[in-house]
Amino acid sequence: MSRANRNFIIAYILLVGLPIVGLVGVLRKGRSLTAPISVDGVWRVQADPVQVAALPCGKTLAFTPETALAISQSGRNFTLTLVNGPKSTGSGVLDGTSLKASVVSSATWSEEAGCGNGRELSLVATVDPKTDPRSLAGMLSVNNCPSCTSVEFHAVRLAPPAKKGSH
Amino acid sequence: MPDLSKLVLQIAVILVACRIVGTIFRKLGQPRVVGEMFAGILLGPSLLGWMAPGISAYLFPAASLGFLNALSQIGIVVFMFLVGLGINPKELKKHGHAAVLTSHVSITAPFVLAAFLSLYLYPKLSDDSVAFTSFALFMGAAMSITAFPVLARILTERDLLGSRLGTVAIACAAVDDVTGWCILAYIVVLIRSAHNPTSIWLTIGGIVAFALIMIYGVRRMLHRYETIYRERGQLSENLMALMLLLVLVSALCTEWLGIHLLFGSFLMGAIMPKEQKFVRYVLDRFETITVTLLLPLFFAFTGLRTNIGLVKGPDMWMYCGLIILVATVGKLGGSTVASWLSGMPLREAAGLGTLMNTRGLMELVILNIGLEIKVISPALFSMMVLMALFTTFMTTPILAIICPDRILREAPVRIPAQETPVATLAPADRISA
Repeated sequence: MSRANRNFIIAYILLVGLPIVGLVGVLRKGRSLTAPISVDGVWRVQADPVQVAALPCGKTLAFTPETALAISQSGRNFTLTLVNGPKSTGSGVLDGTSLKASVVSSATWSEEAGCGNGRELSLVATVDPKTDPRSLAGMLSVNNCPSCTSVEFHAVRLAPPAKKGSH
Repeated sequence: MPDLSKLVLQIAVILVACRIVGTIFRKLGQPRVVGEMFAGILLGPSLLGWMAPGISAYLFPAASLGFLNALSQIGIVVFMFLVGLGINPKELKKHGHAAVLTSHVSITAPFVLAAFLSLYLYPKLSDDSVAFTSFALFMGAAMSITAFPVLARILTERDLLGSRLGTVAIACAAVDDVTGWCILAYIVVLIRSAHNPTSIWLTIGGIVAFALIMIYGVRRMLHRYETIYRERGQLSENLMALMLLLVLVSALCTEWLGIHLLFGSFLMGAIMPKEQKFVRYVLDRFETITVTLLLPLFFAFTGLRTNIGLVKGPDMWMYCGLIILVATVGKLGGSTVASWLSGMPLREAAGLGTLMNTRGLMELVILNIGLEIKVISPALFSMMVLMALFTTFMTTPILAIICPDRILREAPVRIPAQETPVATLAPADRISA
């Protein structure tokens, strides 16, 4: 074996072989990591539409029996939009199985929905990770409105994503 | 039914934006494609949707994006065929150990660093529906990719395709892309099989069988194309249509097998005959419409999915900075060290590392697949798009500093340019810069 070939093999082992061994170690170590619970997807929301509409800002959600909430998750943070509903978007944070979000409506809709004076809808819920599909139970309330009552809601995730690449 | 007038309006706006921003970037010394990628981001929620939400909602309502996506995907299917067409594995053999070592290190270094970074990012930017293995492998594949066509474009513009630096860079980028796509195919199989009752081994078996049929069966038949071209100096419209049909069938096969459409079109391009004039002829036929019309749609669609607003707060920007740092250190650093150890002068080795750090369009293709299969979250997608833009943008100025033309012209070795023409993101080099 020539010197050049020997040097090449040594360099290859050091620069390619060893990192691959390291990669195997990283993949093994990573298996013990836990990521935030998944809430990404479309949720069918059930709440008393009369109670929701009675809330100041309640028209922001305009619940019907077919109301669906789309959650787009990035780690602990998520954004939510109302599918087929009025122009309302929100963002929130996930802490364990607890979920907190605020929903704001577009400027034009906000007037109509009575969301003036910096009011926005607040959503606090808990995810039940054991149910399949996952379900969510919580309360809807209005910020800056001590006299307003909270409304209970329940949501079920449609077509929950399976564990991706669990092999 | 699509709203045709809306679709035409969208295409017109995208083309105008891409041409304007592309021209500005050209004046800044950047390849036009970098400007077009940037234009896509400007049309999305990161700028237009943020500054003029009404106009954005009118131009790009969510319901209309499916048609734009379909058109852009067809463009990418054809483009991946052209990328595969320009890849010639024989090029690597010409450069011996140096190119083999450099190309392999330029994959493993960013891959392993990305996996280490995943240990930190997974609990912060992912969720429990994604397995760590998939997340880490995807991050590795995404960080180790090199934008073969953008690289070829930069080398062409600087008249470096025939230099030692240029030929080694092209050979290494080709290996990187093929390897990156193989790894990505595995990840897609891994993820899709989790949703599918079909065994993963059955899927992998099907893919291997398909690849063998393509390489040892279809490839031989494709040589007939080259023979006909040599005899007649051109290919009939029927033959060109058949070629396109084969690309689509191959793409459909890989989609049915559980990986992505793009793998099939890439493979079809890779097994096409590699005779120089034949490849140039095919590229000339397909590049113009793909590069000037369909790719901008893909950039715009990517931009519409990219929301830089999701990267908010110091923590998120720190993650983004870390991603850019790790991607650059892994790719630029790894390639530089490997080529320097292989005997290349340090300055040229650093130039090669800089070139290999170009991710550009190929990165966007991979990231879109990642977002589609939900292995990365929207915020991580946006960070990775920023990383792709940053690493691509930095290539030209850093290369000019590290390897001024004067030094490269004085380089002792001038190797014949790559035998096979490559898709350079400038249709047939005819469209004015």
